[in-house]
Amino acid sequence: MTSKQWKTKSQLKKERQVKLSVAILLILISICFLISLNTGHIRLTPQETFMTLIGQGTEQQSLILFDFRLPRMVVAILVGVGLAVSGAVLQGVVRNPLAEPGIIGINAGAGLAVMLFISFFSSASAAPVFVMPIIAFIGAGGAAVLIYVLAYKRHEGISPIRLVLTGVAIAAGINALMIVLTLNLDPENYQFLATWLAGSIWGSNWKFVLALLPWLIILIPFVYVKASVLNVLNLGDETAIGLGAHMEKERRILLASAVGLAAACVSISGGIGFVGLIAPHLTRRLVGDKHEYIIPISAMVGALLLLAADTLGRWMMQPSEIPAGIIVAVIGSPYFLYLLAKTKD
Amino acid sequence: MDALDVNKISVGYSNNLIIKDLSVAIPKHKITTIVGPNGCGKSTLIKTIVRVLQVQSGAVFLEGKAIHTLDTKEVAKRMAVLPQTAQAPSGLTVFELVSYGRFPHRKRMGRLTQKDYEYIYWALDVTGLNDLKDQPANALSGGQRQRVWIAMALSQGTDILVLDEPTTYLDLAHQLDILLLLQRLNKEEGRTIIMVLHDLNHASRFSDYMIAMRDGAVITEGTPNEVMTCDYLRKVFQINADLISCPHSTNPVCLSYQLCKNNSECKVI
Repeated sequence: MTSKQWKTKSQLKKERQVKLSVAILLILISICFLISLNTGHIRLTPQETFMTLIGQGTEQQSLILFDFRLPRMVVAILVGVGLAVSGAVLQGVVRNPLAEPGIIGINAGAGLAVMLFISFFSSASAAPVFVMPIIAFIGAGGAAVLIYVLAYKRHEGISPIRLVLTGVAIAAGINALMIVLTLNLDPENYQFLATWLAGSIWGSNWKFVLALLPWLIILIPFVYVKASVLNVLNLGDETAIGLGAHMEKERRILLASAVGLAAACVSISGGIGFVGLIAPHLTRRLVGDKHEYIIPISAMVGALLLLAADTLGRWMMQPSEIPAGIIVAVIGSPYFLYLLAKTKD
Repeated sequence: MDALDVNKISVGYSNNLIIKDLSVAIPKHKITTIVGPNGCGKSTLIKTIVRVLQVQSGAVFLEGKAIHTLDTKEVAKRMAVLPQTAQAPSGLTVFELVSYGRFPHRKRMGRLTQKDYEYIYWALDVTGLNDLKDQPANALSGGQRQRVWIAMALSQGTDILVLDEPTTYLDLAHQLDILLLLQRLNKEEGRTIIMVLHDLNHASRFSDYMIAMRDGAVITEGTPNEVMTCDYLRKVFQINADLISCPHSTNPVCLSYQLCKNNSECKVI
């Protein structure tokens, strides 16, 4: 018998669903990409865009396209991918569908670090462009490590629920601290911080693409390979141990990967939440609970969500922009409520 | 050789040991049942055997080798576990869940091999789940779901099967159903089965070997005939049991019982 004959009806059906989902998502991302190329303060007609893409545009047109618009779109896509995969991994590790990178302190930590930096050392605009992401990354990673250490117990290791609760507590503490610190900020820095926290994809040039890409190229295939481990972790500790999973080790590695992905993304995009929560959720509805499918497809859903949000944000209130993080939250939260209402338990 | 040798283990939290210096041997190719009152440490013993809990001292030996020195995946190829509180994530079909039993045998990536499929289909077959394999696992009844977990443990293809209260929450017929299945696996395929049961009569009827525990210690162990005596039942459960011979297995079963208050005589009918 060939392997096709071995497969059950539901397996074949799911494989068809996966293929269909991939195809539809690719089409939607492409459409969104084309629309996004044509969206912005300075409008280019589709023809102009096309001519510029193949190298026939004016200098100004290619400047807009290649130096402003494209890198920003690529950053939006990469950040969407990274946050969605990070969320998918986290939800698997802590066995809680409400987990997202924010609960392990990524956003709060990054926000606090950025804030401390601009309030004590220099003004936001004066800092070299690469300093801010590094500061944010350190803050995000630091908060995640702190939460992990506090949630860790000897002999018992790390339990999902303790991790989640510690995360909530630490994030609340950091947010309170930030409010206190905000009082001392001058208006210019305050505005920078507010936009940063709202998740404007502000790091939009090719250097940021290059800074972000290695994280995704290394960590996403890595967690994809670990899909079967995530599947087993999802069955609960005792079953997973019985099946021969190295619980503590795998959990730590996967958490670290999720932190790395989310911290890298947030340090470049600012405090975008929700993508990491909603993309894996949507994906589960499309393809079920197997992580071989969840990881790649939520990556695509995340890319689509953030690219669409960023495009909308640039288009809605021209010439000013609405941060993509806000758009995601505004569209995402009612949809999320709708999902919850529809989910039968 | 014994399948499992529990050697002088102490288990528990720092000052509060649940099990102290306990030694017991689990015979190969037999059905062994651990019985005892609530809180006697039987689940703790099982959880230590399947390496969910760590020992403070002593060791569990799997066919002569200390289990914590073995690679956990290698252990999983020889011993499968059905925990007391197994829960399925939503959105998995019966087939998918059963296929997870192949986890310790699989390489990092890749599809299920022909051998994997053979084990999965065999497990679905013996548990009578073939017709349900495309159903979502959490839409099944309690009895069916318990079969799914057993099927998952079976597809692991191990010689040893450890089950923590496999019949709890099931009605009478489904309880018997599961136990007959386990008995068949033992008789026809020589699998070693270790389980915790609350129902003494089931334990007596289906076991080759019984271990009775109280307060973290083994009170007695042996064949059902040796363990199911008035004396031991009084010591272990503090009951005066009316024992009769089971018409299906000839092992003693408990017809009815009284709580021990004074030393009232117990009788064998």
